[in-house]
Amino acid sequence: MKMKDWLLVNARYAGKLFLLLVVFFLLAVPSGAKVYIDITSPAFKKLPVAIFDLQGEDGEEISGIIREDLDFTGLFDCVDRASYIESASEPFNPKNWTPLGIEAVVKGAVQGEKDLRVTITLFDPFEAREILKKQYKAEKGLIRAMSHSIANDIYAVLLKRPGIFRTRIAFVAEREGAKGIYIMDWDGHGIKKFGLKGTLVLTPHWAPDGTKIIYSSERGRHWSIYMLDFISMTEKKVFSSRGVNMAGDFFPDGDSFSFSSTREGTSDLYVFAVDKKRLKRLTSSYGIEVTPAVSPDGKDIAFVSDRGGSPQIYIMRSNGRNIRRVTFEGNYNTSPSWAPGGDRLVFSGRSNGGNQIFTVKPDGSDLQRLTEKGNNEEPSFSPDGRYIAFSSDRDGTKGVYIMRANGESQEKITPEGLRAFGPRWSPN
Amino acid sequence: MRGFRIFLVLILIMTYGYGCKQRVITQPEAEQQIQPQEEITQPQEVIIEQKVTTVESVESKDIQTTNYVETKEAIFKDVLFDFDRYTIKESYKPVLRAASSWLMENPGVKLSIEGHCDDRGTNEYNLALGDRRAKAVRDYLVSLGVPSSKIDILSYGEERPLCMEKTEDCRARNRRAHFVILSKGE
Repeated sequence: MKMKDWLLVNARYAGKLFLLLVVFFLLAVPSGAKVYIDITSPAFKKLPVAIFDLQGEDGEEISGIIREDLDFTGLFDCVDRASYIESASEPFNPKNWTPLGIEAVVKGAVQGEKDLRVTITLFDPFEAREILKKQYKAEKGLIRAMSHSIANDIYAVLLKRPGIFRTRIAFVAEREGAKGIYIMDWDGHGIKKFGLKGTLVLTPHWAPDGTKIIYSSERGRHWSIYMLDFISMTEKKVFSSRGVNMAGDFFPDGDSFSFSSTREGTSDLYVFAVDKKRLKRLTSSYGIEVTPAVSPDGKDIAFVSDRGGSPQIYIMRSNGRNIRRVTFEGNYNTSPSWAPGGDRLVFSGRSNGGNQIFTVKPDGSDLQRLTEKGNNEEPSFSPDGRYIAFSSDRDGTKGVYIMRANGESQEKITPEGLRAFGPRWSPN
Repeated sequence: MRGFRIFLVLILIMTYGYGCKQRVITQPEAEQQIQPQEEITQPQEVIIEQKVTTVESVESKDIQTTNYVETKEAIFKDVLFDFDRYTIKESYKPVLRAASSWLMENPGVKLSIEGHCDDRGTNEYNLALGDRRAKAVRDYLVSLGVPSSKIDILSYGEERPLCMEKTEDCRARNRRAHFVILSKGE
């Protein structure tokens, strides 16, 4: 209480007092803003963390999901529970953890049977304090969604950036000869199919707010573009004309989208504003132009064109000007998609007789190949840019895979026997 | 002065209390509501189906509703193409000449040309390529005197393969323009 007295004595210097308070807060803030893993540093080390099974009936399942989420990022080392000195019921004691080098400890409990109530505490042993304490409530059927939310919060406290554990992936799958639109959690759980008309459908594209997707479907001998609204669970035809109309990415405004159409001859690129029903043509070349991918800032469009004799990736401004070629290696490069930071493109290119996933800078430099086996196509970045979803037939049947953006940890997430492709990671 | 002191003490207690909290960074947030529409958690193998209502939509004017019926058997041979190409090879020109004569002798029918590709490459590019193959065949028929109104085109890209084997023979058969006779429906 010495500080209070000191401040009282100096009460007349009210102006200075405020300054002191400001200094006080400045001193307090840095400890709260400790960044545990600097993922931008090339020499970052995995962060050793201890995640207890939460006490209570469903605790093991919840903690298991949290560990799987954190593990997949490649940023954490979930230390084996056998090496814990402290038990779940004992109070947190930093001295039990600092000798093991563990930087974060998760403890908690779950109560209830139908309605689960979870309390989570995240401790920093080196600073000997709580860095997160939070309660969660969810129906038991939502146990995975809730566990992903907990993982997101832990991730956000330790990395100072949002996690992707509540994101979803929209994709196309084929069952009994009919293709349809499906959606699942990013880890492959909770697959949901949408009952749509028609038997042919192409890769879906998310609206920036994540509440809608657009896709092309062939119905009654016409390839038209449809929009599915997840909130009202309704589908609407948003664009149709002669020829093949294939939906591309939305623009950041959430209303207009890019697409390709063969309505005027060979496939060209267009923009359609849904509300204003305004159509704008962007290209008019003799070659094929398809798969427009809108940059995160909406200023550029990457696309595929065979104007140079073989399908290659090009970039132009969103008004159709300043067309320049990005890919020069290989004679078949397609399916471009932007990293959320706008600093890289991911695409599928033919290499060694198969299609492989590559990333490249928009200026064409720093080409990196991420896959080796089978045909790997239709890549799509996660909203944090750290992961890529894609389709692959490497084990015989096409399925949806995810991997880290550097090619590590490639794993199939769709079930065996489901022919799945065209994945698109949700924006949120 | 006394009042000011009390005021300061109050401010200090409040801010100091806040400062403490700040240091311990506890976030006693009440409860986080998990969105009910996220109720999609099912075991991995179970695929639940979600009903979607198709709402009325505006038809673009340049689409003609076809009231033609497809006949199952095609009377013309498929025209095959080289990989990533849409030029009509000399060997198929007699087939197309026969088709054009037949079309001109049968005024009540319409011909649909379907463009197809093999499974290599990406389906969007292949749909554009299939469209180009179908148009190449249509243009050749029109050059032989068939009115373009008698021809309808549709691309299937790699979506409707004839065969599924990963052999060059199968792929060659899939890179095709396929003819379907559309007869007038009721």
